[in-house]
Amino acid sequence: MFTLVCMLLLFCAMAFSQTRAITGTIRDAKGEPVPFATVKIKGGKSGVSADANGKFSINAKQGDVLVVSATDITQKEITVGSGNTVEVEVIRSQASLSEVVVTASGIRRTDKALGYAISKVDPDALLQKSEPDMLKGLQGKVAGVDIRSSQGTPGAATRIQIRGNASFQSTQPLIVVDGVPYSNTQLTTSSQTSGGTAYGSGIANLDPNDIATMNVLKGVAASSLYGSRAAAGVILITTKSGSASRNKKGIGVNVRSSVSWETVANLPQYQNDYGTGANFGYSNSNGSWGPSFASLDSIPAWPDYKAAYPDLFPSANIKYRAYPNNVKDLFKTGMLYENSVGITGGDDKSSVALTLSNLTQSGYIQNSDYGRNNVGIGAQTKLKDWITVGGNFSYVRSKQKGGYFGENQVDGASSLFARTLFLGRNWDLNLPYQDRNGVPLTPNGGGQFDNPRWAALNNVATTFEERTIAGARTEIRVNNWIRINYNFGANTSAINRREITEINSRAAEGLGRLVVDNFRQQELESVLLLTLNPKLNDDFDLRVIFGNEINQRTTTRQYATGSQFIVPGLYTLDNTKQQTFNPSGDTYSRRRLLGYYTDITLGYKNYAFLNVSGRVDKSSTLPVKNNTYFYPQASLSLVFTDALNIKTNWLDYGKVRASWARVGNDANPNSIEDVFNVGTNFLGQATASRSGTTFDPNLTPEFTNEIEVGTNLSFWKKRINLDLSVYRKISTDLIAPVSLPESAGYTQLYTNFGEISNKGIEIDLTVRPIQTKSFNWDIHGAFTKNKNIVVKLKDGIERFATGGVLTSISPYFEAGLPYGYLRGTVSVRDANGNLLINPATGGMIVSDDQAMIGDPNPDYKLGITNSFSYKGFFLSALFDMTKGGDMYSVTVSSELGRGVTKDTRDRETSWVIPGVYGDPSTKQPILLGGKTVPNQTRITTNDLYFTSSATFATFAINTATEWNVYDATVYRLREVTLGYEIPKSLFGKLPINGATISLSGRNLWFIAPNFPKYSNFDPEVNSFGATNIQGIELSAAPTTRRYGVNLNVTF
Amino acid sequence: MTTYKLNIFKVILPSVLLLGSCKKFLDVNKNINDPIAVPVAILLPDAEKNLANSLAIGGGLSQDLAVYTHQMSTREAPDQYGVTGGDFNVQNAWSTFYDGALVSLDEIIKAATPAGNFKYAGIAKILKAYGCSQFVDVFGDIPFTEANKFKDGVQFAKFDASKDIYPALIAMINEGLADISNKAVNPKVPKEDDVIYGGDTTKWKKAANTIKLKLYTQVRKVQNVQADVTALLATPANLINTTAESFLLPYGPQGATDDRNPGFGDYFATQRANHISPWFYGILKGYNPNIFTSIADPRVPYYFYNQMKATTATREGNQTEYRDGAFVSIYFGSVGPDRDRNQQGTISVMGMYPVGGRYDQGDGLNVNATSGTGAAPYRFITYADRLYLEAELINVGLAPGDAKTKLQAAIKESFRQVDYVITTYVKPSQTVPSLIGTGLDTAYTRKVLTTYDAASADKKLEIIMTEKWISSYGSAVDQYTDYRRTTYPVLFDPRNAAMAPGGFVQPPINGDPVNPNPPPQKAVPVKQSLAFPLSLPWSTSELEKNQAAPAQKNPQTYKVFWQQP
Repeated sequence: MFTLVCMLLLFCAMAFSQTRAITGTIRDAKGEPVPFATVKIKGGKSGVSADANGKFSINAKQGDVLVVSATDITQKEITVGSGNTVEVEVIRSQASLSEVVVTASGIRRTDKALGYAISKVDPDALLQKSEPDMLKGLQGKVAGVDIRSSQGTPGAATRIQIRGNASFQSTQPLIVVDGVPYSNTQLTTSSQTSGGTAYGSGIANLDPNDIATMNVLKGVAASSLYGSRAAAGVILITTKSGSASRNKKGIGVNVRSSVSWETVANLPQYQNDYGTGANFGYSNSNGSWGPSFASLDSIPAWPDYKAAYPDLFPSANIKYRAYPNNVKDLFKTGMLYENSVGITGGDDKSSVALTLSNLTQSGYIQNSDYGRNNVGIGAQTKLKDWITVGGNFSYVRSKQKGGYFGENQVDGASSLFARTLFLGRNWDLNLPYQDRNGVPLTPNGGGQFDNPRWAALNNVATTFEERTIAGARTEIRVNNWIRINYNFGANTSAINRREITEINSRAAEGLGRLVVDNFRQQELESVLLLTLNPKLNDDFDLRVIFGNEINQRTTTRQYATGSQFIVPGLYTLDNTKQQTFNPSGDTYSRRRLLGYYTDITLGYKNYAFLNVSGRVDKSSTLPVKNNTYFYPQASLSLVFTDALNIKTNWLDYGKVRASWARVGNDANPNSIEDVFNVGTNFLGQATASRSGTTFDPNLTPEFTNEIEVGTNLSFWKKRINLDLSVYRKISTDLIAPVSLPESAGYTQLYTNFGEISNKGIEIDLTVRPIQTKSFNWDIHGAFTKNKNIVVKLKDGIERFATGGVLTSISPYFEAGLPYGYLRGTVSVRDANGNLLINPATGGMIVSDDQAMIGDPNPDYKLGITNSFSYKGFFLSALFDMTKGGDMYSVTVSSELGRGVTKDTRDRETSWVIPGVYGDPSTKQPILLGGKTVPNQTRITTNDLYFTSSATFATFAINTATEWNVYDATVYRLREVTLGYEIPKSLFGKLPINGATISLSGRNLWFIAPNFPKYSNFDPEVNSFGATNIQGIELSAAPTTRRYGVNLNVTF
Repeated sequence: MTTYKLNIFKVILPSVLLLGSCKKFLDVNKNINDPIAVPVAILLPDAEKNLANSLAIGGGLSQDLAVYTHQMSTREAPDQYGVTGGDFNVQNAWSTFYDGALVSLDEIIKAATPAGNFKYAGIAKILKAYGCSQFVDVFGDIPFTEANKFKDGVQFAKFDASKDIYPALIAMINEGLADISNKAVNPKVPKEDDVIYGGDTTKWKKAANTIKLKLYTQVRKVQNVQADVTALLATPANLINTTAESFLLPYGPQGATDDRNPGFGDYFATQRANHISPWFYGILKGYNPNIFTSIADPRVPYYFYNQMKATTATREGNQTEYRDGAFVSIYFGSVGPDRDRNQQGTISVMGMYPVGGRYDQGDGLNVNATSGTGAAPYRFITYADRLYLEAELINVGLAPGDAKTKLQAAIKESFRQVDYVITTYVKPSQTVPSLIGTGLDTAYTRKVLTTYDAASADKKLEIIMTEKWISSYGSAVDQYTDYRRTTYPVLFDPRNAAMAPGGFVQPPINGDPVNPNPPPQKAVPVKQSLAFPLSLPWSTSELEKNQAAPAQKNPQTYKVFWQQP
């Protein structure tokens, strides 16, 4: 640290001589700088080039006319006056193809020179769309990016993945905000199989209102300068406060305000003809397989309710009737309020930006909410002509509150959605949810589940997160071809989480529990860049960059459980009878990384570009002998329309590009030496045991290699623009734990092994069918296809689970199979694929062996946005679809198995499962005269979906998990916005520059055709949030639908 | 300007490079959260606890085996003898032993021997031999010589033949005995950290000898053990000789830490999985027509707790399958309509003796975490077990003496054991009468011995083994072994025409006094599709990861070496 401070001081202490010249900045109508434009004196021969920030300096005298030109702007002339500075405002031509793109390490390049794919995201596309989560706002808009939400409750994590999974461990892209990596960790406190809440991920704290630019670096070539963590792609964000670019007017104020209403997107269509019971006989059970409501008049009053509130049940019996809205009544309308104020100001030397925002959201479930307050401020000033300094600071505090989910069947679990979506059709959940002592009541009693109303109020996890970002930067122009940039930043996040399970819940032994998780993560990042841009000759353009990165990450965590509340209603560890530290409950880790790199770009006649780079990393997490590693990158870009001088009516612009790159990655900290774990005391004696993980002392970095080719084409005066990329990414020597047999004495070996491949294609296509003065129609399509295969593991490791979910289903890695495929129990079939049927029951036979039962990776994704504008009105609609990808759904299997949806209404019939008779003990077909015997055993509809045990397996509950895996193809109208830009003239003398009012709708319609028709199931849920476990839904909260009204005013 | 430019190159870049080459800067990877070595005194309690956990009801081997020995019944895999290698309890028991107990024991042996801490090494060897013997008895061939040898280069441990392991275990026990008796000054000796015997090496010697006696008895049909048995029985005082010398792991209550018997988990389970087998219950109540008929066992309220009162009506929709007054359960192999009804709050559960639950005084409460202390020990080998072993050996002519006297002593010790466990370990808040001295115990013993006198030699063995089976309730591993060795006690067989005529078994006709109205209770259809398993399947998790492992066995036919061919 000391050295860094010294370096900063050194920069400040140095002084340079000034040059006498006219300096200026070129900006477009929005005030955004226009980089790399050519500035010439009219009639003169030589000119200068503006820099990446649109700044230029030229020797000129008063009266000279400066000609400013660039490929994407309309040429502009300006006469030099008496001052030394000029401000040039230019008009951008449409669909500019030579925009500047911020690439790795903040290096700006023209789009032309890019030999790889980078998607630039317009921050406005994320705002005021009734979606507070920036990542969710990106869904369907960027090719090559797969974004999945998790639960439908406020603040739940979003998983983003760029070009597939390239590691057995974390596969989330690196997010860099204002030059500092932004941890997007999902802190999982309790297992999400058996009762964790809908944990959020870090990036949800970023205020979309504060985003100035956002670029998605998809390939390894694009991101390799980021080193270790870039194999999964990079999302590069600059905030308004972080860039503090000046509004052209000097002072600009922007106020945005939105309010949205949210509801459950879709509930199943329930049958309301049959109540609880089995095979048309009444019983007070969970399944609605009992008698029809027409055939039975009354049933015994709910025993627990009657005992608690005898006055409510004067008779021994109650009416046997349907409660058609009993599920719907459990939900309310949630609200989402977003307000923000952005202020920018400054003069020609200094600028300042301030963003304040507040988000308040309440979900459709009682007591689930999310709130966020952000403050961001940044400023920069040009101290002298040759030195600019800037700094930024932002603070956010968020709060997330919600209940627990997961598989209620796991012992000790209490899931808020244990029965919520498949309530007995004759259950009235509007009855009191607890007795006079606060014990939750349910119609069928027996503590099978906590009443959802009681659980929502009492079993609640609250997470506070505070994040502070501080950054300082300086740019020194040594001369007109040497520049030094230095950026230092700190990104610190502190999470404080408290998970309360109330006394009398079925979980925590009914005695109450508090889990406290305090987690702090700090990341320091220092980047020093030296840029040399020597003038070679008219044809060649050379840029050489030397860089140094120093990164440090420190994590501390205290994580403890208190059991058995002493005084009810008080939720502190002090107020519990027993306190234990969770495994690894008090930990500290630190890692450091040093990176040195160079990046050389050679341009020829502004149409051919060669870019090579190389980086050496030294990581603290690898054994010393292997901790230094090098990786290179080379890319080529050729604007062939310029090179071959093609000028046709139909082809405006064409570029081909190709790149090859490699990136190395290090290990997790503390992955070098074997340890013991001190455990909790037993009978008052201290205990310890050897850790189950052993570490490979010869750990080496893992590497990802990627080849990418692509093209950018523009047709018919930019009416059609195509951006296409094809890539092949191979990751090898992956660092991950290999499972060992129990008899080895260790559960896992942390080592290098295996290979993962990702192959894919990404297409961004923009079509503008109608372009008139008053009416415009744009269509933008984003297509993503990625095939993610585990190529090989290690000798002796046939497969391993990514994380145990349930013994009957888990995601696995196995050579030759898709990444994280679902492996689970299957029914036995004969050699011809016929199901074996147990002759005694007519049900199927569950195999002892498990097999692949699904692939959670989608075949492709497609998003199509149609935008229309007519005078001040605009309308845009995003339709997207995900084809393929499988999902194991407990919600759907329960809806079928409990007989609650219309899918199982027509039940007065019997069924024969197609198959041949088999012997349940040998699992072989039963042969009669050497031939198999077709099944003839009829079973009831009830038995077709619900049987009591796996020995009589059928199709929904108590069967092989293969039958509860569905193809998750889904079509969706994701986002619709209708708005009107109020003309400035309407405001008269009011100091209002512009105002827009809009209506937005989100997730307005969807259909997942391969799920049971009346389940109305939305496969865009996932029980494991942003983790590697995908395609598994264990009674998750359904997605939401939102309608919003938005106002945007600039002053 | 040139000067300044030079400054930049001369000052800044080298300073960055210097920083980079600084080794200290990168030397931050030391794990400061966990120790790289620990004293043996804190490994021992972990090893002892994990050994018991791998065997106990509630995640250990006894969980499934208690169903196989018909002391429990369940709706889960063990019903119909259907436990697979993927069964949670099999996998959990396997990993708790191999990744838990065995690792800690090996670490103790490795560290204690060169340090001269022979007592630690000796105890660890005895425990390791005992643990391995239990796994051999249940699984047959297991990883032994190459187990926990990853650091010696063995990733895939071979499965040793069960017949080769037994002699090695005897040798290991003898080594342990020699270590314990080593006269050298031990720098460190076990004290309270030895939660089994508190570091009492005399008791360890007795336990070690009794383990040997048990192992020899178990192989008596395939090996001549006369000399070995005779040698061990020659000095009875060198065997477990009093109640307090019983080889058991004490569990504790839920206090500052949770030390409860894992089997107590059913008291707060969100879905109770363990029913009491009506077969076991029926024998204790004297309902069984073939053994102890009409002899009521006074241990019933110590063994089982009824959540119902005898007069409580069954809820409509929650009809019971087997009810006998307050006692509620389901049958092994049941395919009856009421088997799967929600009986969370009505089934009878394990009582105070096996898991530290509630003594049944007829109060019919819905049990929960506070209904008992959960502090019952897991009994490896009790003094009673030793006496039953002797009675068996006398019965088959391998030891001299009077089998009846031994049986009488064994039954008496079994009763005393119940009182001892409750007063010494469970320490309930309930007032619990003692069994010994009430006269109930002697009356019961007298009746049993009367039937014993009238029995044939084979029936006598059945009576001995059945009493041992009743006595060892809560520890099912040896029960399973005893049944496979001796075919006793006689277990419920849904295919037996006498036990389940026409595939139906009849609960006590008037067992449900309230509902249905009027009685009788319905007969229950039962089925059994798989034969009695001669061993448990190996953990799938082990087989899938171990290339040296054999293919999964057929548990119905795979025998452990001591089973007669």
